[in-house]
Amino acid sequence: MPGLVGHPERMLRRVPVLGECAGRDRFAVMKRSPLHDRHLARGAKFAEFGGWEMPLEYAGGGVLREHAAVRAAVGVFDVSHLGKARVSGPGAAAYVDASLTNALAKIAPGQAQYTLCCDDATGGVVDDLIAYLIGPDEVFLVPNAANCAEVVRRLRAQAPAGVEVVDLHDEYAVLAVQGPRSDEVLAAVGLPVGHAYMSFVETSWQAVPLTVCRTGYTGERGYELLLPADAAGGLWDALFEAGAAYDLMPCGLGARDTLRTEMGYPLHGQDISLDVTPVQARLGWAVGWKKPAFWGRSVLVAERAAGPARRLLGLESAGRGIPRPGMPVVDAVGSPVGVVTSGTFSPTRRVGIGLALLAAEVAEGAEIAVDVRGRQEPFVVKRPPFVSASPTT
Amino acid sequence: MFPEDLKYTREHEWVRVPGSTEGSVRVGITDYAQDALGDIVFINLPEVGAELTGGAVCGELESTKSVSDLYAPISGTVVARNDDLEDHPEVVNSDPYGEGWMFELTPADPTGLDALMDAEDYGGHVEQA
Repeated sequence: MPGLVGHPERMLRRVPVLGECAGRDRFAVMKRSPLHDRHLARGAKFAEFGGWEMPLEYAGGGVLREHAAVRAAVGVFDVSHLGKARVSGPGAAAYVDASLTNALAKIAPGQAQYTLCCDDATGGVVDDLIAYLIGPDEVFLVPNAANCAEVVRRLRAQAPAGVEVVDLHDEYAVLAVQGPRSDEVLAAVGLPVGHAYMSFVETSWQAVPLTVCRTGYTGERGYELLLPADAAGGLWDALFEAGAAYDLMPCGLGARDTLRTEMGYPLHGQDISLDVTPVQARLGWAVGWKKPAFWGRSVLVAERAAGPARRLLGLESAGRGIPRPGMPVVDAVGSPVGVVTSGTFSPTRRVGIGLALLAAEVAEGAEIAVDVRGRQEPFVVKRPPFVSASPTT
Repeated sequence: MFPEDLKYTREHEWVRVPGSTEGSVRVGITDYAQDALGDIVFINLPEVGAELTGGAVCGELESTKSVSDLYAPISGTVVARNDDLEDHPEVVNSDPYGEGWMFELTPADPTGLDALMDAEDYGGHVEQA
């Protein structure tokens, strides 16, 4: 058995399926979270995510246990690798509204929104991100780690006079407290809870400014806490001190990936990318179609009217196969109909699940096959989510 | 830290002599291997009757994190396999030297075992990793 990390004598055919970039220079300098030492102390195994060395799973946990903790109780994730940027100045919100896809005018200050940054010429997704509307003159953005600089570059390049776009990637830490008991843990450390899904409260914690957002990437009720990087250690410690009574578990990005895949949430760089449009990814709900302007509008409106050539849909195993990104999908007669973009073993359902970009004619319920390392494994096309979790309840 | 009564391969399999039947040996993966792989969710084992070649791929282990090949530690014929792992692959994580065994084979050449490492050598091998 081979191919464990660091076995140069026989490194054959190990296929990393999560969070590791094959072929990437392993000695390249990766950024680290301000909580890195705390992860080391908890026996974390690390992997690279968007140029950051982040916890994949923890000693005493593991992906399956950490996943179960979030579905049944509560877990905390360090997601400080996520990007952070501020757009501010007169008309900042109107500028973001005219650039990113979703209708920012539909939400009020104190609310957040899932939105997309698309390439104006192709409509391809530069990044998916959360926009926090502070007020008409300030929007805080949380892009993906790997795309923060590019989103900032594009917004800065088009910004009207007086609107400033600042990259704050390393200035803030983000902790995600997720699961049905997350309110209890936050309340125990004295943070505000109970606000509506996709809304946020700006508060202070031990004299540190902290934003409590009712957001997440797991499908469970939960919060994401945004605070200055140098204060993150104190909050992490306080959460665990208070969280022991609620079975709070540290969770790595391995569990975050299985949780989001069960919900069918796309991951940029896998399910969506510059080569995939929101219409193909079935993300039209995050596009303000009635808006007069946003990047990519003309090409996306045309594609929506004509119908996309391919669509992002779910796959559920009808056998024991586990789909992984890049695996070919074929129809009943063996003709290629698409490719797996995300795939994993669903810890909740105990079956292989995935997302795939499939030719438009492949309908929900279709019986297809995934080429799992040469074996044709049966799957059924489904519309996610694969589990009944809901972040809104 | 690795059981003294087992033999080991560089690919992190262990071999127990004897197996459950006369002349057979039992094969599994080490605690080091299961820990490095993480939660195992799928195992593909060789069929009973299969003729294995020492050092060749004979199965597959898939964890939440990665897919790895399983190697035949020595040449021989598969005489038993642990079918309980099909529904409970996690047993390899919880009990790698016991209930998490994988298959048994009858060695083609009994001296083939001589090339395997003892616990001390395997411990050194893991430390270099």
